Amino acid sequence: MKNKKLLIINIFTYIFLIAFTIIALYPILNVFTISIRPNDRLLSTSLAIIPEGATFKQYIELFTNRPFLLWVWNSTIVSGVVTITGVALASTAGYALSRFKFIGKQVSMVGILTTQMFPATMLLLPMYIMLIKLGLLNSYLGIIIVYSATALPFCVWQMKGYYDTIPFSLEESARIDGCNRLQAFYKIIFPLAAPALVITALFSFMTAWSEYIVAAQILQDTKLYTLPLGLKSFQSNLTTEWGLYAAASLVVSIPVVALFIILSKWLVSGLTLGSVKG
Amino acid sequence: MQKHISDHIKLLITFSVLFFFAGCTQINRENEIVIWHNMRPEEKTVLQRQLDEFMQQNPGINVIELYKETEEMRSGYIIAAVGGQGPDLIYGPSDQVGPFAEMEIIKPLDEIFSSDYIYNFNENALIYSDGKLWQLADKLGNHLTLVYNKALVPVPPKTDKELIEIGKRTTLDLNNNGRIDQYGLVWNYTEPYFFIPFLTGFGGWVLDSLNNPTLNTPEMIKALKFIQDLRDKHKIIPSEADYDIADILFKEGKSGMMINGDWSWSSYGNAGIDYGISMLPLMTETGLYARPMVAPKGYSINVNVEDEKLPVVVELMKFLLSPEKQLETSLEVKTFPSRKEVYENPKLLEDEILIHSKKQIDEGIPLPIVTEMRAIWDAMRPSYQAVLGGAITPERAARNMQRDAELKIRELRETYENPVMEVVIQTGMILIVLLLLYIIRKSIVAFLKNLKRDAFAYYLVLPAMLIMLAVIFYPFVYNLIISLSNMSLAHIHDWSIVGFIQYVKVFTEPQFYEVFLKTIIWTLTNITFHVVLGVALALLLNRKLPGTTLFRTLLILPWAVPQYIVALTWRGMFNYEYGSINLILVKYLSLSPVEWLKSPVEAFAAVIITNIWLGFPFMMIIALGALQSIPQELYEAADIDGAKWYHKLKNITIPLIKPVMIPAITLGIVWTFNNLNVIWLVSNAGEPSDKTHILVSYVYKAAFNLYRYGYAAAFSFVIFLILLAFGLLFLRKTKATESVY
Repeated sequence: MKNKKLLIINIFTYIFLIAFTIIALYPILNVFTISIRPNDRLLSTSLAIIPEGATFKQYIELFTNRPFLLWVWNSTIVSGVVTITGVALASTAGYALSRFKFIGKQVSMVGILTTQMFPATMLLLPMYIMLIKLGLLNSYLGIIIVYSATALPFCVWQMKGYYDTIPFSLEESARIDGCNRLQAFYKIIFPLAAPALVITALFSFMTAWSEYIVAAQILQDTKLYTLPLGLKSFQSNLTTEWGLYAAASLVVSIPVVALFIILSKWLVSGLTLGSVKG
Repeated sequence: MQKHISDHIKLLITFSVLFFFAGCTQINRENEIVIWHNMRPEEKTVLQRQLDEFMQQNPGINVIELYKETEEMRSGYIIAAVGGQGPDLIYGPSDQVGPFAEMEIIKPLDEIFSSDYIYNFNENALIYSDGKLWQLADKLGNHLTLVYNKALVPVPPKTDKELIEIGKRTTLDLNNNGRIDQYGLVWNYTEPYFFIPFLTGFGGWVLDSLNNPTLNTPEMIKALKFIQDLRDKHKIIPSEADYDIADILFKEGKSGMMINGDWSWSSYGNAGIDYGISMLPLMTETGLYARPMVAPKGYSINVNVEDEKLPVVVELMKFLLSPEKQLETSLEVKTFPSRKEVYENPKLLEDEILIHSKKQIDEGIPLPIVTEMRAIWDAMRPSYQAVLGGAITPERAARNMQRDAELKIRELRETYENPVMEVVIQTGMILIVLLLLYIIRKSIVAFLKNLKRDAFAYYLVLPAMLIMLAVIFYPFVYNLIISLSNMSLAHIHDWSIVGFIQYVKVFTEPQFYEVFLKTIIWTLTNITFHVVLGVALALLLNRKLPGTTLFRTLLILPWAVPQYIVALTWRGMFNYEYGSINLILVKYLSLSPVEWLKSPVEAFAAVIITNIWLGFPFMMIIALGALQSIPQELYEAADIDGAKWYHKLKNITIPLIKPVMIPAITLGIVWTFNNLNVIWLVSNAGEPSDKTHILVSYVYKAAFNLYRYGYAAAFSFVIFLILLAFGLLFLRKTKATESVY
């Protein structure tokens, strides 16, 4: 009886998952179709996934005739530094906000949130003027600082929320065992927050990996182009190289998916808290 | 303790070094000329070749060309040039000269080029404004013509009657399934620029000699009816066509005729269509030709180019504008040159496409370069689309267009002066700061007293806070000040504080409340679906059945693929005739097809559906992480007590994932509230009739695009305050700022 019920639940689980996977994949399959369509068409009156005259020439073009790998490399550097910064600063700030009482804590928490509330378009001009004055135009330093500041609010809040679920008693026993505050943090709590660290890392990475507007204003030197800027160069008014654009869009998502697969181990291990808590 | 702090300092130093290296990419720009342009790929190839030649002739000089999309080039250039930077040369359509000249961010060229030199150009290629020359064009054109598929239409129509007759003959249901498979005529008829030829054909125009709009005229009404008739009475054009749909129908040979500009022609040849170019038809009623706008494209010089560099920049411009280079470009990319010397060249006179192109240019009207044109387009679009959607009559549309255009021009030109306000605001701000200091005086004392005790916490929080503050503080204060100013087209450099008038304007804007309501619907619907779907999928994936790893990876794809292309793909999927969504509705669910992009409610639904799809994977990832913090023992204990699944969900899962989900939901709401991109892409900037706007897209279109910076800043500040109020309320309710322990 119980097994039968479980079987039904499992079947429904799969049906639901399969249905959503199809919904998630269908538009992306359309993008794939654009990428293998022979002559730069965004749309078609045909719904076939494999178009007539399908070709992989766009992918070859991407890697041979375009500075695609340079953009990948540039984006990897920028996203890498932003990810490390995001994880390092958010994990520490989130910890303090979760664990300590101090003057200005509430203000900081709300303050962090407010940085996300102002429409971004309006911030562009003053940000640009500021970066000129600091001599950070056409430099990765400028863009890395901006991206880190963009990614941090979510990351800090998210880390704080996760630390909140970890019992304080763990640090207390660590302190009794002779750890100081910093050791208690990075030896005991930090590893337990692995799922949140994964989310922070993914989010920071993605912020830098996909951002276009600020990059377009700050990076004018084509040698410094990040992926979104590079992709945009396939586009033009009314005559976009859609095939290349679609192909590049799919290739660009591969590192994101790869990162997710690698980090998944810590995202869903389920070993961390369950085993120590309770 | 001391030792560990020094560990931390080491870590910080490591980061600083990393930053430093990442920043070490400054370049030397003295011998470098940068051109921004909006050329399409073929033109760009020619430009690149010509620049290489120039660099070979002038060793030591490096010229860099950078492509920018027209709108983005315009706004990006304004920001850069106002900031004292930007490219040396800017290449684009003549109408960008209007605002640039008014803002004084390009140099007058008559002081740089001799009148003898200027004399060599076709007069339409010299872009004057207020008696000064601002741009030298190398291409005339950007004009629409009739393009026809020779296989379907052997002889192109000369008059509107012939156009309709040929159109009817070639609009066919080839397989007799009740659906039309081939249209007589297609074009991007929902966009005003593509409607202008018919307005002029009936004798109408958009502006009078004093730049006042002339939209409410009998000619306008006739032209609107003409387009309506093409679709509803003669049925020779598709019921829904934007640029991409029209383009694809013609490329696939599913349309006999097309109206499109010189930029597109070669792509039809590449698609294997044997095409011809012909003049737009003569309108029999008036005896006038349907005349398109003709917009030269050319170079302007940045006002920030220094005197030492100017000669080289001029040299380069003369090189690119030389008759040889123009001829080369014309023959290759079929654009029409601007130098008179080239016109008699036999090679030019032999080219069939260029001959017909020239005829159309001669029957064209120059695109007005005044900034008012932007108000005209923005005023025409919604009413024009409303006529096509059947919402209003042509007569009413003409009246609305005129009213909106007058209003927008007034807004564009409006300016306030209030010299007293500057002092008032300054004093007010100082008082507010003092008041704040007074209010928090106890906190400051407590802060200093407990500094030693709390040092560890501050030490952990400070780096993150500093980096956020560094980036946001100046822009934020800047916007606060601008929102109290009259900064606009006329006052881009010399703006002054005028008080709260811009805020008054925001709240008296009749559309504000309607758009606000839509923003709330947009935000709530999106976030509800994101969270419910995200958590539901995370719960299922967390059951760790075989294969969940694969599902998990596939399900995050909507988050991983760049938004731009998928958003446009979704737009294609929503197409009435060819989109897959209607196909599924009709074929598999036996429902009637939905006019997704033509009616306001459906279009808004389409945008929301797209955004739900884009956003659920992220919530799913967060929920997956959150679920890991729940000890398994709790569920086991509940099982022993015989708890049902919904009890477990309500009493264990939801309370325990709340600390992690609340920050994500709060920020998710803030982000969705301000999500410009998806609206912009899927609804094509608020179509139909500007009915699919949320507050940010509205401010972008109605204020930022009309250079009303003071108003836009005030509007943005109102958005900010709305979100702040919401944030504080939400946080109080959920107690998310408190620690759990």
